[in-house]
Amino acid sequence: MSGRLGFAHSALLACAILSSGCGTISSLWEPKPAWELPAPSPIDRPVVTKGAVDRTDLENGLRVLIHEDRRLPRVSIGLVVRRGAAVESPDRAGSVAFMADLLERGAGDRDALAFAEAVDALGASFGSGADWDTVSVAVSGLSRDFDTLLDLLADAALRPRFDEREAERARGALLASLEQAKDDPATLASWWANRALYGSHRFALPVEGTPETVARLDAATARQLHAAFFLPNDAILSVSGDVDPAQAIAAVRSRFGDWSPGETVDPGPPPPERAPPERKILVVDRPDLGQVRIVVGHEGISRTDDDRIPLSLFNLVLGGSGFSSRLMAALRGPGLTYGAGSGLALRRSPGPFFVSTFTRVEELRPALDILLAELERARSDPPGEDELSWARTLATGSFSMELETSDAVTRALVDLDVYGLPENSLDTYRGRVRAVTVDEVAAVAREHLHPERAAIVLVGPAEQITPQLDGLGPYEVVEP
Amino acid sequence: MYPAMPNTRPLIRALLVFACGWIAAGPPAGALEDPAARAEVTELDNGLVVVTLEDTTTPVVSFQMWVKVGSRDETAHTGLAHLFEHMMFNGSKHLGPEEHAQLITARGGMVNAYTSYDETVYFEDVTRETLPLVIDLEYERLAYLDISDETLAREREVVLEERRLRNEDQPMGRAYESLLALLWQAHPYRTPVIGWRSDIEKTTVEICRRFFDTYYAPNNIVIAIAGDFDTEEALAHIRRTLGRLTPAEEIPRSPTEEPEQRGERRAIVHFDLRSPVLAAAWHAPATGSEDGEALDVLSQILSDGRSSRLYRSLVHDDEIALSASGGYWELKDSGAFLAIAGVRPGESVDEVERLFFAETDRLRNERVSEAELEKAKRQLEVSLVDNLATSHALAARIGRDITTFGRIRPLDERLDRIRAVTAEDVQRVANRYLVEDQRSVVHVVAPPVEGDA
Repeated sequence: MSGRLGFAHSALLACAILSSGCGTISSLWEPKPAWELPAPSPIDRPVVTKGAVDRTDLENGLRVLIHEDRRLPRVSIGLVVRRGAAVESPDRAGSVAFMADLLERGAGDRDALAFAEAVDALGASFGSGADWDTVSVAVSGLSRDFDTLLDLLADAALRPRFDEREAERARGALLASLEQAKDDPATLASWWANRALYGSHRFALPVEGTPETVARLDAATARQLHAAFFLPNDAILSVSGDVDPAQAIAAVRSRFGDWSPGETVDPGPPPPERAPPERKILVVDRPDLGQVRIVVGHEGISRTDDDRIPLSLFNLVLGGSGFSSRLMAALRGPGLTYGAGSGLALRRSPGPFFVSTFTRVEELRPALDILLAELERARSDPPGEDELSWARTLATGSFSMELETSDAVTRALVDLDVYGLPENSLDTYRGRVRAVTVDEVAAVAREHLHPERAAIVLVGPAEQITPQLDGLGPYEVVEP
Repeated sequence: MYPAMPNTRPLIRALLVFACGWIAAGPPAGALEDPAARAEVTELDNGLVVVTLEDTTTPVVSFQMWVKVGSRDETAHTGLAHLFEHMMFNGSKHLGPEEHAQLITARGGMVNAYTSYDETVYFEDVTRETLPLVIDLEYERLAYLDISDETLAREREVVLEERRLRNEDQPMGRAYESLLALLWQAHPYRTPVIGWRSDIEKTTVEICRRFFDTYYAPNNIVIAIAGDFDTEEALAHIRRTLGRLTPAEEIPRSPTEEPEQRGERRAIVHFDLRSPVLAAAWHAPATGSEDGEALDVLSQILSDGRSSRLYRSLVHDDEIALSASGGYWELKDSGAFLAIAGVRPGESVDEVERLFFAETDRLRNERVSEAELEKAKRQLEVSLVDNLATSHALAARIGRDITTFGRIRPLDERLDRIRAVTAEDVQRVANRYLVEDQRSVVHVVAPPVEGDA
């Protein structure tokens, strides 16, 4: 006998001999274990140290946000433009992402390889990319290299070269990676779920575009888009880390002060309010897989929707909280899956609400039935005070933890700016979460959940999947 | 857009850990104070080692339990260390299945665990008022773990789903599983951490219990705590809980050593895919080797950044790979130099292999330039600074160092060793390790179409 088990056995033995209240916690736990005691009140530390963040608007409209944090000799710089892939028409899907990808493939006096050499020589990390609502360029490295890092960022943002040959390379790599992505069941499931939901709206296609639309992209397209998107009056530049705010502002002004403002791009049409209008089932055939990916979804809400906090708390109860969620208990509990989750894609225009899991092919139907039943139950049996109570402490606690670093806080502040939300939102968040009531959560669950018309996407061997779909409605089998 | 599956108990982290393995060597610039220099190591009477690093400027405290057991200790049932890790969340005398995780989650904490080749790590990242709960929960499951037929039967299915997810339905999972079984023919590192399917299916409560009794003893565990907490309070609390556990007399270890490889080994794996995978590995030294830093520098030159040799050759110039990287992966008993490339759909895996090995041969035949050497050292330096930013990363660093080396390696020491690497060193280690005879190569490709000759 070894280990603590030896201890446990001897303690039990002692109890048996003395026959003194064995099995009660107090007999083995002196004093009581912490889970038997009332939870201590959380300490709401300020998210941002007083005076640490400086906001300045330059004359050309560029917003500059400096977050001073001297603990480590490092710095992160980001430039975010408040427009993204959502503005492009579906037949040009991928053009914004393509433009963003080209920013670091040659800029200023440097071609693509020279630019990469300059970044790597500093041990820096550089990235540029597009999302639905933003295009961003970011660099991080040692604070002693601040000026050089800022020069590199300014070159990529203001003076990208859009060389024809590099555009060809980028297009080739993008086409190949779109093909490679079909090897990943999770990516396939997500692509087809969006197609099932959004029909002819831009949200139906990936941010990166499709092989058909990407094949039409070239350097000239990217150059035009860059000119339209990169305007100081539609951008925010952030610096966080080991910098002096006054010096940092001066350095930013010297690189970006002459940048000319212009008219901002139209945000594009919003998606349909009901997506999909009725239930759709798609089976994406991957005969070699032993596990089926399941995604069920429909339209969700926007980043600025008034219901976002109660609905997010509801989402934690349903599937957004890992081991503790209803979906995990219902699906992992009986050993049907390793993971299950739910989530809202919060964009300027309402993005999708998805629930997802995966299971061995032969258990598809039981797992899918449980998943749909949990969605139905969300309306018939909304979270009570006990479930909501832990969702509140989970939301407020994880909020504090996720904002551990100044980089994370800065990203959150930039995000608020992009969506036009109040700049004190981080300070008020925990209070707003604690004020949410059971009735509010029940009301938003009723309003925003529609399992009866949700799209269902299944990725796996169609031959074994389709016999399990009886009674769910018509389905369509597609090739990846 | 998808919920980041917060449920991952990333067993295969093992295979991600290698990614950190070669990046996390090399220290910060100038006169940076190493926060870990303030860490205190306390050994309790029962052999439990507690390493603490208090820092009240951060709002988070990370509590990590490093158990010195991993897949290398599995002699009969593979996957046992990992399956057992799942059982650590499945209830104890006073708490039901998953209740441990639920109690932490309910306070906004992050709770998870991973199993690797040499260790199993459990962690809770919380705010300071929750640390007493964390310590009590760890004591509860170490002192009173309950493994029933019912929870084990359920968890076997969960792990098999995890196996399908990561190893069976993914080209990269297939590649690694095959590659490591080729590289190591005798040593237990040859088996995937998640185990072979048949073994997972046949694991019993009795086998789990014996495993728990053998390896989960306080003198086989290191506790690492970093961030916002009070050292004295935490140590006192640990003494009156985990300090009461009974130590084990002896911790058995597998006696198997890997015999010498004589000649290149190759395997082909068929899988329904569009983008073939090239995976290769060479034998390399165990962690702590004096060649370690030179191998780290070599890894950087080969694959870190868009100016690295592999990106330039395979991705940029020849446009036949989507990604290509090679890196030193260090484990307790031995190491490997791993190479991996995603082949562009329609391109030839043989051609990617030829270009890849041309780059490793070039490292053997020519000295790297001074500029490349400096760049690699700087990259290692910056990644070390970045790795000091969170309580979790700090706890992981001190936990790993104490578990592996019995001491915390100061940043300055690591910086000095990185800085001492010369172009000759890089060429020397390339010639010592990256040789054809010592190589194992796997191609994951689509099965041939029926009717083809």
